[in-house]
Amino acid sequence: MTFSLKARLLTGIIAGMILLLTVFSLLIYGVIRNALVKQFDTSLASVARMLAASAEFDNDKIELEFEVQQMPEFQNAEHPTHYQFWGPDNTVAAKSPLLGTEDLSRIESSLNTLVFGTSRDKNGQPQRTAGLKFMPRIADSEDKNYRSPTNVQALTLVVARDASDLQGQLRFLRWLLLIASAAVIALSFLIADIIVRQGLRPLNSIAAEIATIREDNLTARITAEHVPAEVVQIKNRLNELLSRLQSSFNRERQFNADVAHELRTPLAGLRSTIEVTLIRARDNDEYKKVLSDCHAIVENMQTMVNNLMMLARLDTKQISFNTEQIKLAELVNSCWRPFSDRTLERKISFDNNIEPEITCEADRQNLSIVLSNILDNAVEYADEGGQIRTTARRIDDSVEVAVSNTGCQLTSEQVSQIFDCFWRGDLSRSDTGTHCGLGLALVQRLIRALGGHATAELQPGGIFIVRLIFST
Amino acid sequence: MRLLLIEDYRPLQQSLTKGLREAGFAVDTTRDGREGLWYATGNEYDVIILDLMLPCMDGLEILKKIRAQGRKSHVLILTAKDTLQDRVTGLDHGADDYFVKPFAFEELLARVRALLRRSYSQKNPRISVKDLLIDLTSQRVWRGREEIQLTPREYVLLEYLAMRAGETVSRTDIWEHVYEFNSSASSNVVDVYIGYLRKKIEQPGKPPLIHTVRGRGYILGAQS
Repeated sequence: MTFSLKARLLTGIIAGMILLLTVFSLLIYGVIRNALVKQFDTSLASVARMLAASAEFDNDKIELEFEVQQMPEFQNAEHPTHYQFWGPDNTVAAKSPLLGTEDLSRIESSLNTLVFGTSRDKNGQPQRTAGLKFMPRIADSEDKNYRSPTNVQALTLVVARDASDLQGQLRFLRWLLLIASAAVIALSFLIADIIVRQGLRPLNSIAAEIATIREDNLTARITAEHVPAEVVQIKNRLNELLSRLQSSFNRERQFNADVAHELRTPLAGLRSTIEVTLIRARDNDEYKKVLSDCHAIVENMQTMVNNLMMLARLDTKQISFNTEQIKLAELVNSCWRPFSDRTLERKISFDNNIEPEITCEADRQNLSIVLSNILDNAVEYADEGGQIRTTARRIDDSVEVAVSNTGCQLTSEQVSQIFDCFWRGDLSRSDTGTHCGLGLALVQRLIRALGGHATAELQPGGIFIVRLIFST
Repeated sequence: MRLLLIEDYRPLQQSLTKGLREAGFAVDTTRDGREGLWYATGNEYDVIILDLMLPCMDGLEILKKIRAQGRKSHVLILTAKDTLQDRVTGLDHGADDYFVKPFAFEELLARVRALLRRSYSQKNPRISVKDLLIDLTSQRVWRGREEIQLTPREYVLLEYLAMRAGETVSRTDIWEHVYEFNSSASSNVVDVYIGYLRKKIEQPGKPPLIHTVRGRGYILGAQS
């Protein structure tokens, strides 16, 4: 699934902003609300204490000082403050006249402790209430016969004050915070969008550069300058990838060119031989000779095409191997048989010095191809009257087979390139058409597929050795 | 006309040599670069057909050396290398033509003939000397309206004289341009063939065409 980096960053930033703003808004709201309520309660508490202080217990009755009763806050009908006293037996001892027939709900508390609460009045307006239980003051008596009352009991006082102003302030605060947060989020969305777009610009410019690179201009590199460090990494990795691609494409192209070249030469020979023959009538012997010449050319071309096919199959891993126990000395002898005539002409001697009991586990057919190619190469480049030798030895759980021939005219630097495709000792080749330089390349790839490897070395006296090392 | 073929792929070398000889050219041939250079610098070839990838010495190297020694032979590069760069390099090194393998033998012959005409500043593929007409392409010869049958050797000799019609051609020149390097013929052969040729092209009652310039050689056409 694809997703847009920009969308991801924006979503992340905005979600983070919403979370933070919510938390801070709630925090601010809580703090301010507490402060406002506390202020309100303090004022309410002082009213309650004043009322409690002004209540006199006189002759078993509660009396409030007249001045207190006349205080404006108890008279304000719009934002009224109500009070109500209860006696111990739950009888209403006194209440503010504005209450009329209404009663406040009684709040129980321990003695001299204020308890606050929130409720609604008869009109549904919010009000804040404070409850207080207290011992009323006993009225002073100028009467000499005054006797302390013995039945003084605790009274309960509830003061209720209209809190619609407080609620209004809090509502305003809530809206303020909500709108401010929304505005901040909307603005930060715009800003984040710009920042993210700016931040992603180097990626876009790299993408645009990559889009211009096609398989025919792999020499191009991503140049994007002034890009941030993270993108520089991407740019460098991409350029490295391009270099690898380019060299691989070049190898491929060179290989194709070499294939074309190597096929052209024998084709030219074939065509010219046939065309020259067809110019006039010839006798039978001449036709026979021409046909056998053409046959030889075709056979060489077929060998080359087979090698190419084999290389291609190895590249795409389409070759199967059936391993079996193989006696090396026997296999080398059977691979040598086709070459024996050729070596007789040139007086090349062949010594198979592999001990008969040395065996290995490998695919017979493919190992034969490997050995035949190495022997073919040895025969081709051995000097007249020279020598070809094969030896084998065990090294731990591997076997090393060595094929050496005399008469090598290569330098050690040239020997190091011997396994490359289409490489030949003499760059201005001496054997066009018969050897196209695929044999040893095939040897190396095949032996690798068989789980081993091949090396080539040059020893003093022009002795060239190919070694095959593979586990048994 | 004398050609040098330097080509290392044996089937191509053999068939080309055969085809070119049958077309009436004297062909020297080698498969080795160094030997090719030795041939090319030691003789006055009309056309050198040169492969590029050769053992011992690269074709371009040979070309450079031939040109450095001032040899005027026309060089036709015959190679499997077909990129633009290869063609440009070949021509810029002093080649007169560049021909890519595989090719039609007929076209190779036509290109060689074209180079030969250039060698002798002869644009027209038909040469006429008085009432003698030589068609270089079909290799046929007429005197007046009558076609004259010549052997390949005789034709080649006549063609060489006709290419240089009007100027004195020495026996050595003929020897060098008409006969192969390792042919066993002696210079006497030139006189013998001139004799054969005279018998076929000279007609009684008409002025002679081939004149002997004593001590110097022969001349076809008007004595200058």
